[in-house]
Amino acid sequence: MKTSMTAMALVLGFGAPALAGKAEVLETYADIAHAGYEDSLLKARELQAAIETLLADPSPETLNAARAVWIEARVPYQQTEAYRFGNPIVDDWEGKVNAWPLDEGLIDYVDSAYGGATDENQLAALNVIANPTFTLSGEEIDAREITPELLADRLHEADAVEANVATGYHAIEFLLWGQDLNGTEPGAGERPWTDYASGDDCTGGNCDRRGAYLTAATELLISDLEWMTAQWADGGGAREAVTADPDAGIVTMLTGMGSLSYGEQAGERMKLGVMLNDPEEEHDCFSDNTHNSHFYDGLGVRNVYMGEYVRVDGSVVSGESLSSLVAESDEAVDAALRADLNATMIELGQIKASAEAGTSYDQMLARGNEEGEALIMSAVDALVKQTRSIERAVTALGVGQIGFEGSDSLDNPDAVFQ
Amino acid sequence: MMRTSLAMRSLTITLALACGLSGMARAGVDEALSRHVLPGFGAFAESSAALAASAKEDCRAEALKPAYHAAYDAWMGVSHLHLGPLEQGGRALAIAFWPDTRGMVGRTVAGLVADADPVVDSAEDFADVSVAGRGLMALERLLYEPHLAGYGKGDYQCRLARAISVDLARMAREMDEEWPDFAGLLRSAGAPGNDVFLKPEEASQALYTALMSGLEFNRDQRLGRVMGSFERPRPNRAEARRSERSLRNVVLSLEALRDMARALADGPMEDSEAAFAQALERAEALDDPVLAGVATPQGRLKVEVLAQEIRRIEEAVAQEIGVALGVTAGFNSQDGD
Repeated sequence: MKTSMTAMALVLGFGAPALAGKAEVLETYADIAHAGYEDSLLKARELQAAIETLLADPSPETLNAARAVWIEARVPYQQTEAYRFGNPIVDDWEGKVNAWPLDEGLIDYVDSAYGGATDENQLAALNVIANPTFTLSGEEIDAREITPELLADRLHEADAVEANVATGYHAIEFLLWGQDLNGTEPGAGERPWTDYASGDDCTGGNCDRRGAYLTAATELLISDLEWMTAQWADGGGAREAVTADPDAGIVTMLTGMGSLSYGEQAGERMKLGVMLNDPEEEHDCFSDNTHNSHFYDGLGVRNVYMGEYVRVDGSVVSGESLSSLVAESDEAVDAALRADLNATMIELGQIKASAEAGTSYDQMLARGNEEGEALIMSAVDALVKQTRSIERAVTALGVGQIGFEGSDSLDNPDAVFQ
Repeated sequence: MMRTSLAMRSLTITLALACGLSGMARAGVDEALSRHVLPGFGAFAESSAALAASAKEDCRAEALKPAYHAAYDAWMGVSHLHLGPLEQGGRALAIAFWPDTRGMVGRTVAGLVADADPVVDSAEDFADVSVAGRGLMALERLLYEPHLAGYGKGDYQCRLARAISVDLARMAREMDEEWPDFAGLLRSAGAPGNDVFLKPEEASQALYTALMSGLEFNRDQRLGRVMGSFERPRPNRAEARRSERSLRNVVLSLEALRDMARALADGPMEDSEAAFAQALERAEALDDPVLAGVATPQGRLKVEVLAQEIRRIEEAVAQEIGVALGVTAGFNSQDGD
């Protein structure tokens, strides 16, 4: 029997790569998650320091320094987004740190063209920074002191409206950049540094409350990232959950890759913006950092598959990969998926290159901008193509059947294999 | 482990060879294409062309409403077929932009009207307009929004209604023309030279995914968005509530999905039939065109029961069709948040 199996392996062209077990692959997966959230946390602490400096000594330089750290902080965080779908611990938490799109009028002053309350959101123009007290769902709210609790427990997703985003990266982004009023023309948000000045220099009103909001939101971001980093440490809940059942863990990895690639990134974040010609439909719309947001999302998907992540200090976390596991079952499927992931990175890299050379993502969304549309849509097509390959990897691994057993799977729309 | 993967590999090779040689489509695929998909896109093209003709004849709201409803009815016959032609060029979004969580349709239509944007005078340019200003949802605003609908033949809204109708007819016609080629790819899945569907079961999976995603969309979006939470139901979020189509869309969509399930099933599907029948009966008994009943606890409960019944269809279909085809649903475009 043993002899014949070897013979068959030779006939079928099996090489002799080290056999990666599912448990080892999942360990790499959890290690990368831990490193990614820890890097995000380290960067959030740097952001906090820069914001303290800004508030202590408001100036164009200190505002720009805080903005620069925010951009850096997005690099590790976006790479963790491949963990969101499939891991309930991450998905339930994610809205606190990266909710988007937002009705920013909830937080601070906005341009008159923004409009007021809408059918969907009565609080779209609440402006907490200007209003120490207000009514929320019939209840009088005391917002004289802006605290992390106020933002997290009262304002965030207030009235059960998802666009009421009071916390996380995009709330902070809005407070650092302000609205991008350039439409699909060049330029990002232009919030003046004097929005944080004291006394008569203060612009936009309530500079002290704006500073308090920024401080509270950053504090929350740090505590949320501390929590998630711990979830992926040894013995942490997210690590335990994904490693408990190896087959289910592998499905989680592939679900995260496929759902982010297709429904979320290709669909919700990229195609929709092109189809609406709407500059607000770009993921990092205040800072014009969308090209990076997309690029690092793509890289995060690739990290999960290749079992490799480059940390913010340049060190590398790597281990047994999902790629080698798939290759054991079907080398052609693995080769095609690797090629697709690389092709996506080239397409996303071209968008990034164009943006960094001065043609920002929102300009690409303009009605009738065929070059911009082609640039974005070729990345969308690459993401859709890699999704098909991810489905083939599921089939090759034979892990797709496990969900047939119960109906619980249907409670979770993200559990797409079930 | 080695043993399993070897066995699987040889099984796959055998399957691929067998199907490659016979050139036969897998059970259900051919039936679904010839009995459901192709006729469905034919009907949508026909009724959209009739809508465009009607708009050219008289683009005022009252004159256009019957053709609008007929086209929308036909759209419900194919709106779940999110593969191939419907996925090209953002057509699904351009035909019916819903859910519209940020109120883009109202804003975009108002913007076009306020600017009297001349883009409506060129069919080619109009195809580049935001999807929120095109398709059935934008047309619905013009026909049913009181402050817009009273327009006369010489008004801008009339030109906009015509442009939307013509644009819709163009997309429907293009899809009807493109589907036979795409159907060929599905039928020849796994054959040499077919680089879209590499194995026969990938064609079954693509159609099965459309079926399951369509069921989920009815439950999770058409009903789920309106239900909101128990404390905060959301009647204003009902799909196409201005033209009072919210419940009608659920019924027509379920009927179309049943049609597809029957074609795709390779044999009887008793549990699925029973689940479809029960959900459809419940839906028709609701007698609540815009699902406004969700505003009361009792009314909301009725909609919730319907949602649960759609979930039962999903379970039955997974057991009776998914298992028989040997496939599970792949990723669908609604997997994001």
